[in-house]
Amino acid sequence: MLRQTTLFLGYELRNTLRNPIWPLFGLLQPVLYLLLFAPLVANTAAGGSQADTLLQFTPGVMMMIALFGSLFVGFGMISEIRNGYLERLAVSQTWRPAIVLGRTLRDMIVLVVQALLLVALAWAMGLRASVPGLALMLLLMAATGLLASGLSYGMALALRDENGMSQIMQFFALPLILLTGIMLPMSLAPDWMQAIAQFNPLYHAVEAGRALFAGDFSNGSIPLAFALTLALGALTMAWSVSSMRKLAG
Amino acid sequence: MIIEAHGLKKTFTSRSRKGPKTVEAVKGVDLSVESGEIFGVLGPNGAGKTTTVRMLATLIPPTAGTALIAGYDVTGQPAKVRENIGYVGQAGGVDENAPGREGLVLAARIGGMSRRQAQARSEELMAAFSLTDLADRPIRTLSGGQKRRFALAVGLVNRPPLFFLDEPTTGLDPQNRANLWDEVRDLRRQGTSILLTTHYLEEADALCDRLVIIDHGLVVTEGSPGELKKEVAGDVVTLRLGDDARIGQELLAAQPYIKEVQPEEDTLRAYLDDGEHNLPLLLRALTERGLSLKSISLDRATLDDVFLRHTGRSLRDAA
Repeated sequence: MLRQTTLFLGYELRNTLRNPIWPLFGLLQPVLYLLLFAPLVANTAAGGSQADTLLQFTPGVMMMIALFGSLFVGFGMISEIRNGYLERLAVSQTWRPAIVLGRTLRDMIVLVVQALLLVALAWAMGLRASVPGLALMLLLMAATGLLASGLSYGMALALRDENGMSQIMQFFALPLILLTGIMLPMSLAPDWMQAIAQFNPLYHAVEAGRALFAGDFSNGSIPLAFALTLALGALTMAWSVSSMRKLAG
Repeated sequence: MIIEAHGLKKTFTSRSRKGPKTVEAVKGVDLSVESGEIFGVLGPNGAGKTTTVRMLATLIPPTAGTALIAGYDVTGQPAKVRENIGYVGQAGGVDENAPGREGLVLAARIGGMSRRQAQARSEELMAAFSLTDLADRPIRTLSGGQKRRFALAVGLVNRPPLFFLDEPTTGLDPQNRANLWDEVRDLRRQGTSILLTTHYLEEADALCDRLVIIDHGLVVTEGSPGELKKEVAGDVVTLRLGDDARIGQELLAAQPYIKEVQPEEDTLRAYLDDGEHNLPLLLRALTERGLSLKSISLDRATLDDVFLRHTGRSLRDAA
């Protein structure tokens, strides 16, 4: 089982490395956010110095790539269902969870690399964050990636329809972004919005990220965020693995 | 016996606004395939060929019936069945984004080979299918025939004793089709049993040792291409008589050398042996009755005539 998972991981990583342009391209949007949005926030009443703003804003942007980078990974799988690739794997001696697990691990590795590049840029712009906090943040990101990849593969296998899938993601994108405080801290929001945000697991992940960057390790949002993302990640992975099993017999 | 299937059935239920709708794709198919033969499943589109193969290859569970593949039950021991089969579906099933070599090596390693064994086996197969020069190009940049060859190679990587090919030559040009036939025959020579589906008569005739003809989810007839054609007759005369078709049919049926007459739209097909010698007699009989001929032709009977005899319509018309 482990052998097969690493086989798929290696195969998928080589596929990614053969075309590294796309993950790099995927990094462009968060980079533009850092370059254009952070200075904008710094100039509003909510912001402070550039370094303070980056401390608030960088964890949010990191969560954004964790979420939106990974939510789209399932699209490729729909065409693989259609051209019979997954079907053929299903009748080979493949341990089926390995097909999803290998990919998800690849997605998590790509995420961590993207995050490191992003942090390097933020650092160059003046970010000074707690280093152990940063390391923990990368772990939290990977867990969020697990959640989003699992959701995406599960959706792809259940819907098998690019159009339906993109509509559903469009629908969730805006409330997820606004109710996580990625752009602006939720402390600026009215009370009812803050109350709703409590039910958004990503809100806690972003809050935890800010606490970690600030070196505030006793903050309660950190264990909460880890517990939530890992538990939800396990759920979405279980969903996509069971959908994969259903793909054949 | 490498395949033994009894009473295989598959019913699909689709939910629509008007309530659930059931489609009986396969209504009870019996198959027995000997080790080492090329066995064909011939039938028009929608006859249930693909559904049958998908049940045998453990992709979908049968609604009823049993099937043993190499002695293992498809529903009870699917993992054992999968160790014994290779499967190439209609769509091919190769990863479009990776080079062919990568896909081959992965498939070999999933099958349990070490990296070195997998590489050696991949090179061997690519050489056998003339793919070595294309090994490092992403599959999506290859032609249809080249993709199909990679799909075959991937299916064969673990040397399965039984190989399923679902419409292997659909969409291929005549040259590639002929090459694929040769490759399938080579496989049999090496001892692989093959089950293939096709809607091409010539393919079933040229390639299969034995075949079943299926229509509307049921086996219509079974045998070797030679045996099946002998059932109808050696030759077939196709005539167009225009308005006099009915009289013509009675007249032909009354001739002692004619075995059977099948009307088909505005033509008549008369089955007979030794057509070269009996055609003049037939022409004379028509002239004596004063029937005018629009056209006439003499051909060897094909599997289409077998299909026509059993289903009342031509495979070419059966969509």
